Amino acid sequence: MLKIIIPTIMLIPLTWMSKPNMIWINTTTYGLLISLISLFYLNQPNDNTLNSSLMFFSDSLSAPLLALTTWLLPLMLMASQHHLSKEPLTRKKLYISMLILLQLFLIMTFTASELIFFYILFEATLIPTLIIITRWGNQTERLNAGLYFLFYTLMGSLPLLVALLYIHNFMGSLNFLMIQYWIQPLPNSWSNIFLWLACMMAFMVKMPLYGLHLWLPKAHVEAPIAGSMVLAAVLLKLGGYGMMRITTLLNPLTNFMAYPFMMLSLWGMIMTSSICLRQTDLKSLIAYSSVSHMALVIVAVLIQTPWSYMGATALMIAHGLTSSMLFCLANSNYERIHSRTMVLARGLQTLLPLMAAWWLLASLTNLALPPTINLIGELFVVMSSFSWSNTTIILMGINIIITALYSLYMLITTQRGKYSHHIKNIKPSFTRENALMTLHLLPLLLLSLNPKIILGPIY
Amino acid sequence: MKPPILIIIMATIMTGTMIVMLSSHWLLIWIGFEMNMLAIIPILMKKYNPRAMEASTKYFLTQATASMLLMMGVTINLLYSGQWVISKISNPIASIMMTTALTMKLGLSPFHFWVPEVTQGITLMSGMILLTWQKIAPMSILYQISPSINTNLLMLMALTSVLVGGWGGLNQTQLRKIMAYSSIAHMGWMAAIITYNPTMMVLNLTLYILMTLSTFMLFMLNSSTTTLSLSHMWNKFPLITSMILILMLSLGGLPPLSGFIPKWMIIQELTKNNMIIIPTLMAITALLNLYFYLRLTYSTALTMFPSTNNMKMKWQFEYTKKATLLPPLIITSTMLL
Repeated sequence: MLKIIIPTIMLIPLTWMSKPNMIWINTTTYGLLISLISLFYLNQPNDNTLNSSLMFFSDSLSAPLLALTTWLLPLMLMASQHHLSKEPLTRKKLYISMLILLQLFLIMTFTASELIFFYILFEATLIPTLIIITRWGNQTERLNAGLYFLFYTLMGSLPLLVALLYIHNFMGSLNFLMIQYWIQPLPNSWSNIFLWLACMMAFMVKMPLYGLHLWLPKAHVEAPIAGSMVLAAVLLKLGGYGMMRITTLLNPLTNFMAYPFMMLSLWGMIMTSSICLRQTDLKSLIAYSSVSHMALVIVAVLIQTPWSYMGATALMIAHGLTSSMLFCLANSNYERIHSRTMVLARGLQTLLPLMAAWWLLASLTNLALPPTINLIGELFVVMSSFSWSNTTIILMGINIIITALYSLYMLITTQRGKYSHHIKNIKPSFTRENALMTLHLLPLLLLSLNPKIILGPIY
Repeated sequence: MKPPILIIIMATIMTGTMIVMLSSHWLLIWIGFEMNMLAIIPILMKKYNPRAMEASTKYFLTQATASMLLMMGVTINLLYSGQWVISKISNPIASIMMTTALTMKLGLSPFHFWVPEVTQGITLMSGMILLTWQKIAPMSILYQISPSINTNLLMLMALTSVLVGGWGGLNQTQLRKIMAYSSIAHMGWMAAIITYNPTMMVLNLTLYILMTLSTFMLFMLNSSTTTLSLSHMWNKFPLITSMILILMLSLGGLPPLSGFIPKWMIIQELTKNNMIIIPTLMAITALLNLYFYLRLTYSTALTMFPSTNNMKMKWQFEYTKKATLLPPLIITSTMLL
């Protein structure tokens, strides 16, 4: 694992010592090279995990997320070039250093083998994200957004710390690989119920669960593009990854403890999708769609069947790429008209046809069109929840319809129809933007040819 | 103040604390405390204004009362055990009295009322000495009598201190009062595990002193005592603003900075002793602390406050303030994890 971590650390001196006109090129190139290294970890032996060292390991669940994280850094750098072009050099380098630091913490989080190490890095990812949101966001609401983000997540995760230390005392070690062989079923008592709650609430807030999702629209909307990308694509998946790891310790309490959260997720899915239909703010729409997709992942993780785990993993990767792509598209709009309102820039298909193609493909993957991996994820989750309880299919079906509705609503409002007369003189698409969209879309489409690598440890 | 007098007074302060830490006879410990207190009064009164007078008087009164209580406890211990050596206190009344006295010296709740007012009335340098050096002596005595302290009393004090420190600091804009409430909260954390594992208390004290020293030195570099004057720092010393950011987050106890180490270790020790609810409560209340540190960073580092001059950067004069050992201090207070 050090062969990924040390190059990522060395990216920071690279930004600070590069020539001013080379910082973006250098960091993006080396970021892409690091992501190539991480792809080697996707080659997992079927019956065990790849154990790198005492502290790091990677298995079929964390390897795709690792690849996603390292793939996203060069994409974030490419997306940020325009809005940082007018800043002084030191601030550009600071921004890039924050992104690299965040990347570093995320890599270590996904490959941590000891749960307290995981916890420390889980919290550590909050700091660069907070700095990116509050320092480089664009509106005054960003201060509030940073506060909500930090405090919601910390309130959830401090009980997790206490619970992890308690489990450490109880079991002797928190090394994830060893715990798998030592777990005993948790007896049903009030204190164990609180233990379950303490362990899960941190990840529920991070996912986010429907009732605790208030930080997400604020944070996503106020963050600059790189912040939105990394939040939507990776930070939310931290919650899913953590839940999948920690539910192995919490059987069989999950059987009945899951009910309130299942209800919140199932209902919240439909609620947030419906909110998307009435949004005027483009980024806010994409943010609420993230909540809706993640609610599916929560449902999948709480059911704890093999197919649902496969669906959750696939959905996490697919949603990461799709959501990040949608944010990039929204940002390309924002950079031209400096407003997030959808109706201000309509009919873009006549003016920017290639960008319209990317919008079409992104919306289609968002609504889970076959044969993309989005569909594979959603389908597995729907099927497994149907087998858990037959009536959930009604809610899932309604959700799929509403997802399609708002994705097409977004597409049609921004692309089709007559253009508004004041946007005739927007700049045409940069090659950088087209390259960005391609780099998002290509993994998404190629993975539909071989979804085995993202289907997780149960496959 | 003339340099020779300043040297003598500083030496007396240090000698007083050293005597407290190094002696095993209760009378000498009391003497050390008195030396320390008497010598620090002129330091607190360095600026000759009524605010400082009031602060020094309040400090003197509380510390003198605490020393008298301590002496009472020592006498009761002498009555019941027949000797003056500091060791396990057999009599519970003496132990409670000594604990109360020492917590009064530290500024733990419910004896915390003097800390914000005294810290506010004195200069930044004196405030720094007050909040860091003065905590060493009582803590060392608490360390030595830790096997016989009544756990319930100290845990109650610790819990209320963390609450008071968190809530009291929320409405403050004066930096010295913010640091005072921060000191109350941190003392609460330290008091919580003295009876379980005193080594963690020493760890917490060391890290707290490092972080507070760094913070005060950064404030002194700019001679800023209010949030408003701190917020002009982006114009004068932009590098320092990022230092303040990390330092404040470290004080708030965010991983992976070193302010997280004491909180983690203390929660670990407390859960080993089967107390689950108390560390959870303390950890969540520490979020209140984090809120006002974060507010400081918002106005200092993360936004650019409107300033009086129109230039983006002022002329960078050479630093004329002494910032002794500032870089290593900052690094140790943030990167130790």
